[in-house]
Amino acid sequence: MSTYRLQVNGKPHAVDTDPDTPLLYVLRNELALNGAKFGCGLGQCGSCTVLLDGQAAMSCMVPVSVVGARQVRTVEGLGDARTPGALQQAFIDEQAAQCGYCIAGMIMQATALLEKTPAPTDAQIRAHMAPNLCRCGTHMRILRAVRRAADALAGGKR
Amino acid sequence: MDHSRRKRRTRWWLLLAAIVVLTGIAFAIMWRPALAPQSAIPAFDQTRIERGANLAQLGMCASCHTADLSRPFAGGKPMETPFGTVHSTNITSDRDTGIGAWSLAAFTRAMREGVSRDGHLLYPAFPYNHYARMTQADIDDLYAFFLTRPAIAAPARDNAMTFPFGFRPLVGFWNVLYLDDAPWQPDPQQSAEWNRGAYLADAVAHCTACHTPRTKLGGPDLKRQLDGGEAEDWYAPALNRNSPSPLPWSRAQLHTYLRTGMADDHAVAGGPMQDVVMHLAQANEADVAALAAWTHSHLAQAPARTTPAQRDGPLPPPAAEDPDLPRMQLGYALYANSCARCHDVGRAPSSGTALPLQKAIALYDPDPRSLIHIVDDGILPPDGEAGRWMPGFKAILDDGQASALAAYLRKYGAGQPAWPELDDQVRKARTP
Repeated sequence: MSTYRLQVNGKPHAVDTDPDTPLLYVLRNELALNGAKFGCGLGQCGSCTVLLDGQAAMSCMVPVSVVGARQVRTVEGLGDARTPGALQQAFIDEQAAQCGYCIAGMIMQATALLEKTPAPTDAQIRAHMAPNLCRCGTHMRILRAVRRAADALAGGKR
Repeated sequence: MDHSRRKRRTRWWLLLAAIVVLTGIAFAIMWRPALAPQSAIPAFDQTRIERGANLAQLGMCASCHTADLSRPFAGGKPMETPFGTVHSTNITSDRDTGIGAWSLAAFTRAMREGVSRDGHLLYPAFPYNHYARMTQADIDDLYAFFLTRPAIAAPARDNAMTFPFGFRPLVGFWNVLYLDDAPWQPDPQQSAEWNRGAYLADAVAHCTACHTPRTKLGGPDLKRQLDGGEAEDWYAPALNRNSPSPLPWSRAQLHTYLRTGMADDHAVAGGPMQDVVMHLAQANEADVAALAAWTHSHLAQAPARTTPAQRDGPLPPPAAEDPDLPRMQLGYALYANSCARCHDVGRAPSSGTALPLQKAIALYDPDPRSLIHIVDDGILPPDGEAGRWMPGFKAILDDGQASALAAYLRKYGAGQPAWPELDDQVRKARTP
């Protein structure tokens, strides 16, 4: 057991845990941030996607000991039910969730894209979202939601 | 006085003559005439078009000439070279922006000499120094295939070459050094299948373009055929006696690998080789078998050796007396927590087999570039295609962590001496 100081959604946390503990377990079990989900545990499905310094990372594959001072961001940091962020709102508007299990990961993967590429092409969205799987098959709605959020964010700036 | 003036005048005349002659030679090297546009696209026999389609798969034309799957062969894909960024061009039948106005003579000249119809010299990113040795019948068939591709309007994108390579006529000098258009000769000592493979590998599939090292001028280093080169900053392994493969390749494994990108318990194609196998998967089976036969004859020259790849089981923790213990412990922790879950639990092929890492050829390469790219970017099939899937770890591992992982895998996975300047290589591979 060691103590790890993590920056999650802009807030500092100190966590006592084993160095091998996946970041996903720390977020869910220690910090009660249950947005990121455990899907495959092998980095194959993307439902545990969070941001590390702005880059999408599958948190089931991240031992807590490697996080260091990097900023961790989860879906909870984007907004809540009353004040959803632009991507969350777009996912609601497109009814992109069926069972919803993959959605937090999808939204974080999309966040990484839109922060770096505010006006992505449809091909860029497809390629960027490729790591994240949805077993209900709402991929087309998810792609539309990312498009909608990109357009909404671009509109807001105009 | 008079005498010396005459002497001086003679010298001037000689100098002038030399300049004229040299200019003439330079002109002959650098200048090619335009060929007249053809008024209409000729009609082609279906069998020729189909043979051309197979050659286009074997030559992997789409790999560079298709940037967007919905616009096949319309070009526009950027390719980084040491001399600048070159964009592939439109080779559909479009008259204005493609090659619809190109006669067979113009197409043949481009394939054999690297000259566009209008006379400008093409950059050798287009591997005409290989196609130069194609049979005329094969060039005819490729012509039939491309001139029947639906016309797509897509003008050429501007290249961004570093000075002075934007001046295309300079390519003429490269051609003097590296363009060998002597017809390809079969080796009578070898089987017909081997010779078919040798022809395809050299003149069509241009395997040696990546698997042979290049000179500083970007030409093939012919003294080191198949001695390992590079492609898009990946190491392209030696295919001769210097093959880094820790286990000998069988011919059947090579055939399966070239066809599917996977040889069970031996290798998974990554990086640019993924694109190669996607094309070979669409080519004639007999041609892929011939390529495997030829490649195997070269790989079989590699001496047998004892490597960790011959044993099973997870990789060991670092030895207590390791002089680089903290770094190796970090590498081992990353291996155990991030890599081993897929690579060492013997998952069934249907759920995405990962190689036991002691068998991964990238660990045995003479430099770490391919391993770094695999760790950073994973192995992803192209958009819309099925294939092996490994997530990338660039977002997860910082430079020091990635370097520690590579150092650990090299030592305790492959049992090979440390890669020199590993930290620099990691940083370089990650610099956009």
